[in-house]
Amino acid sequence: MALMITDLCTNCGKCEPVCPNDAIFEGDEIYEIDPNKCQECEGAYDEAQCASVCPVDCCVPLKET
Amino acid sequence: MTAKLKFKDYLGATQPKWCPGCGNHGILKSLAMSWERMGISRENLVLVSGIGCSSRLPYYAAAYGFHTLHGRAPTVATGVKLAKPDSSVWIISGDGDAMAIGGNHFLHLLRQNPNVNLVILNNEIYGLTKGQASPTSQAGQITKTTPYGFHNNSANIASLAIGAGASFYSRTIDTHIEHMQNLFQEAYHHHGVSIVEIMVNCIIFNDEAFSDIENRKEYHDHVVEVKGQEPLLYGKERDRMLHLDANMNYRTIMRDEVNQEQWQDAIKQNYQDSNRMMAFALAQLGHTETPFPIGVLYRDEKKQLQTSWSDDYSTESLKIALRGNDYWIKKEA
Repeated sequence: MALMITDLCTNCGKCEPVCPNDAIFEGDEIYEIDPNKCQECEGAYDEAQCASVCPVDCCVPLKET
Repeated sequence: MTAKLKFKDYLGATQPKWCPGCGNHGILKSLAMSWERMGISRENLVLVSGIGCSSRLPYYAAAYGFHTLHGRAPTVATGVKLAKPDSSVWIISGDGDAMAIGGNHFLHLLRQNPNVNLVILNNEIYGLTKGQASPTSQAGQITKTTPYGFHNNSANIASLAIGAGASFYSRTIDTHIEHMQNLFQEAYHHHGVSIVEIMVNCIIFNDEAFSDIENRKEYHDHVVEVKGQEPLLYGKERDRMLHLDANMNYRTIMRDEVNQEQWQDAIKQNYQDSNRMMAFALAQLGHTETPFPIGVLYRDEKKQLQTSWSDDYSTESLKIALRGNDYWIKKEA
C-alpha cells in the first residue's frame, strides 16, 4: 500500500523532508509520492509522516483503480 | 483571442521562500485558482504589498507587483486604482502591516472606499522578524517580546473594519482552500474595499494557534459558516445555533438542551449580512472562545464611491482647485 497526494496540495513542501523513504518529490504541478517507495511509514513510525504534517490533509491512501 | 489562463500561469518563476508547511502557500495557490476562475488577464492584475512574510506574495505571482513601504500598501493601491480604474488591485497585507504600522492607512482606505481587494494574512505574530507579539496576538500568548504573556487587548480586525465603515468584510482559514476561493470571488465582485481576512498558521513562531478551527475533522464544532441570510447553525449534525439575544450578544443554543418549540422558534432567526449591528455583534466572537464565524460577515452594496479621475477637469477648474477662489490681490493705493 502507498499514499498519494491529491490536487488540494498547496506546494508548501512540508512533507518532502519528513518522508523516511524519500518517496516524495516535487512534481510538475504539485508534490507527488512514488508508490514504489512509499511504505506508509510502516516499521519507522506509528503513522504516515506526510499525512500527519500536511496542513491541508491531502496525503490520502492510494486507491486501487 | 488569447487562450484561457490556467492557475499555473498566474504563478511567477520565483520559487516561494516561505517555510515548509506555512499557510501562505495555500493562499497563493487559492488566489491563482480564483484568478483563473474569474478569468482576470495578467496585465490588469496588480498586487500591492507592505512588509512582512505575507507581503512577499507579489514576488511569486506573474502579475504587476508593488512591494511598498511598511503599512503603506493601501495608499499605493488607491493611487493605482485611480490612475488605472480597469485594473484589479489586490492589497496583500499582514496583521502587523495592516494593524500596527498601517493602522492609520487601514482606516482611511475604508473611509475612501476605492474598489480594491484587501487580503489580510493574520497569523497573530510577527513572523518575518522572528516571533514578536503583534497587535492581534491573544491574551497570555508567550512571544519573544512578551515572555510573561501578552497582556494588552488584541486588535479585532472584524469589529475595527465594520466600525470604521468597511463595505465588505469576510474571513476564512488558510486550510479551507475552497472556501477561500469563494470569498476571493465575492470580494472581486464587490465594489468598494473588500476585506478578506485569513487566519494563517505560522508553523515556526505561533504553531497550533488555530488548531481548533483548522482541524478539518473537528472544525464543524468550532466554526460557524455564515451563508448569506441563513440562520447560524453549526456542528456536524447542525444541532447548535448562534442566537442573538436582546442585549445584542450571540449565545449558543443546543438542540438537545431546549424543547422542540424553543428550537423551532430559535432557528427562525436569520442572519442578515447587510445588517451592521448584527455583523458587529458577530465580530465580537474570537477563535479562542468557540464558535468562530467565517464567511462574509458584512456587505453593503450601496456604499460605492466613484474613485476615478474625472475627465472634465478644465484648466480653469484646475486653477480654482489649486489656488482656490478665496484670495485677494492687494490693490495699489
